[in-house]
Amino acid sequence: MDSFNYLLHGFGVALAPTNLLLAALGAVVGTMVGVLPGLGPINAVAMLVPVVFALGLPPEGSLILMAAIYIGSEYGGRISAILLNVPGEASAVMTALEGYPLARQGKAGIALSLSAWTSFVGSAIATLGIVLAAPVLAKWALAFGPVEYVALMVFAFACLTGLLTDQPVKAMLAIGLGLAISTIGIDANSGVYRYTFGSPNLVDGVQFATVVIGLFAISELLIMLDAKHGGAAVRIEQFGRSLFNRQEMRFTNMATLRGSIIGFFVGILPGAGGTVASALAYTTEKRVVEKSDPEGSRFGEGDVRGLASVEAANNSASNSNFIPMLTLGIPSSGTTAIMLGVLTLYNLTPGPALFRSQPDLVWGLIASLFIGNFILLAINIPLVGVFARMLSVPAWVLVPFIVVVSAIGVYSGKSTTFDLVLMVGLGVGGYLLRRLGVPMAPLILGLVLGKILEQSLRRALSLSAGDVAILWSSPISITLWIMAAAVLIIPLLLPRFAKWRHKTALQVD
Amino acid sequence: MKTDRLLGATAIAVAAMMLVFGYALQAPFAYEPVGPRAFPLIAAGMIALCGVILVLRPGEPSSESAGPIGALAALCGCLVGYALLFQPLGFVIATTIFMVPIAMIFGAKWWQGAVTGVVLAVSSYLLFDRVLEVVLPVGPFGGIV
Repeated sequence: MDSFNYLLHGFGVALAPTNLLLAALGAVVGTMVGVLPGLGPINAVAMLVPVVFALGLPPEGSLILMAAIYIGSEYGGRISAILLNVPGEASAVMTALEGYPLARQGKAGIALSLSAWTSFVGSAIATLGIVLAAPVLAKWALAFGPVEYVALMVFAFACLTGLLTDQPVKAMLAIGLGLAISTIGIDANSGVYRYTFGSPNLVDGVQFATVVIGLFAISELLIMLDAKHGGAAVRIEQFGRSLFNRQEMRFTNMATLRGSIIGFFVGILPGAGGTVASALAYTTEKRVVEKSDPEGSRFGEGDVRGLASVEAANNSASNSNFIPMLTLGIPSSGTTAIMLGVLTLYNLTPGPALFRSQPDLVWGLIASLFIGNFILLAINIPLVGVFARMLSVPAWVLVPFIVVVSAIGVYSGKSTTFDLVLMVGLGVGGYLLRRLGVPMAPLILGLVLGKILEQSLRRALSLSAGDVAILWSSPISITLWIMAAAVLIIPLLLPRFAKWRHKTALQVD
Repeated sequence: MKTDRLLGATAIAVAAMMLVFGYALQAPFAYEPVGPRAFPLIAAGMIALCGVILVLRPGEPSSESAGPIGALAALCGCLVGYALLFQPLGFVIATTIFMVPIAMIFGAKWWQGAVTGVVLAVSSYLLFDRVLEVVLPVGPFGGIV
């Protein structure tokens, strides 16, 4: 019952007035962020990095705020998907498939309330899973030395390239670029200046906030200009009955449960977040329904079961994402990667040791996930109309707002023009890379893990006096190497999986 | 022209740069078997490998249409200008000047852009500089604006 006591302690932290306020604020902002097109959780969290420092928040406070925004945006993403057929973010793509047809049939109210409910169930199940699984994993992860960490990070990178896209080479390229950026600045071990080109601005490396804001927030603006070029969707005005009834709930219970469980396990894998989870849940649910109830299947024309399972899955995954992040220090999505980066800015080393050295932080965060989900359910069912109104915020207000907040955020770090110009340069570069199909999340993961990977590698090789064989000297590391190889090779051998991945990747784009 | 080839070639060029500027990285007193040079070169190798694969086996270019090139260029120009003049002109003036065209690129009429620019500049200055104590540049007119 150790976890239970720790959890109670965590609730003590999360219920402290400041933290409660931060969770509530994060839930509201997160939902808004999810609704607004072009402002996903990753952009919001990126722009927040400098703000939390400006506010002087302690580490647990900033993590609670960021986590609430992250899970809140998953709730919000469904609103624009259902009402506009425009997913606010990638993981809501599947939501639009069933949600938008429902809305066109005059059932927008039911679709919105039911999906808020299944989002809640998915999140709650995943959070419960975190409480049960995380401490066990953390204890196990304490057996990890530098050797195992090297293998683990290679495994994480392999998952990213193998699972995420249909173009593994481009994901690998993104990781390489992230690792490269992480080497800029003074080398901690030897004091050698690397890739600073004589510029004092680069001596302590590139500011983390500058990179994430440039690559995500600024490049997104250019992407928005592309999207604006495309056609506009028909907006739903008729909401119909605003709350689902008991019959509809019973009808979707199993779908919700299946979605939650799929989401939970997908979320644990490094590199696979809500997007993969919702795609997998949708295809599974479709197959189950077509087998058990071929007459009643309305998939593609607005089946509530499809909607329920997808929303349960992506919310479940975004919560269980915290397991690898907290226990192993391996983020499994771009957003958790940024949060991990923030931890390192507080001089905290992510990984299993956190459970021992920072119980307030870890358990406070877990407890605040519970609380955040209740707040989200509470604000999402009655206030859905208010959030839906945010869809009419014009781009010409939104874009200048994003530019100004980004610039202030980057400037607040070191107060140099250099960082602002670098932000714009990275934004344009990020835009070009995204246009060419290079994903940004692996780049951030490479950047965040680069320093840790290099340190682990050098420490491991110091132990063996330079003998590389030490990298596969322990059972854990060998297992991880084999798993990494499997993740990379199996998709090549299974044409069906490749086809599925290709399909989901297309839909995600 | 397959865009992947271009991407691959650029990747190889980046890796070559990393090799040229990274090869000389050596610690004056080496007390560990792996110095500061190895890791950057591993990253460069990874980038180069991806570049070679992309050049040899490029995928189909994406069919998505890009935004109008004029608007993209205008937005990039405004962003660069804003970044360069943020400090010299001061936050309030730079924001007002550059947010008007940016709003207009995204479909605002000139007066809508002007209102957005002024409101955004003044309100975020008050919020960040005065309330949150993020020091923003005041520019040549100091405390007046």
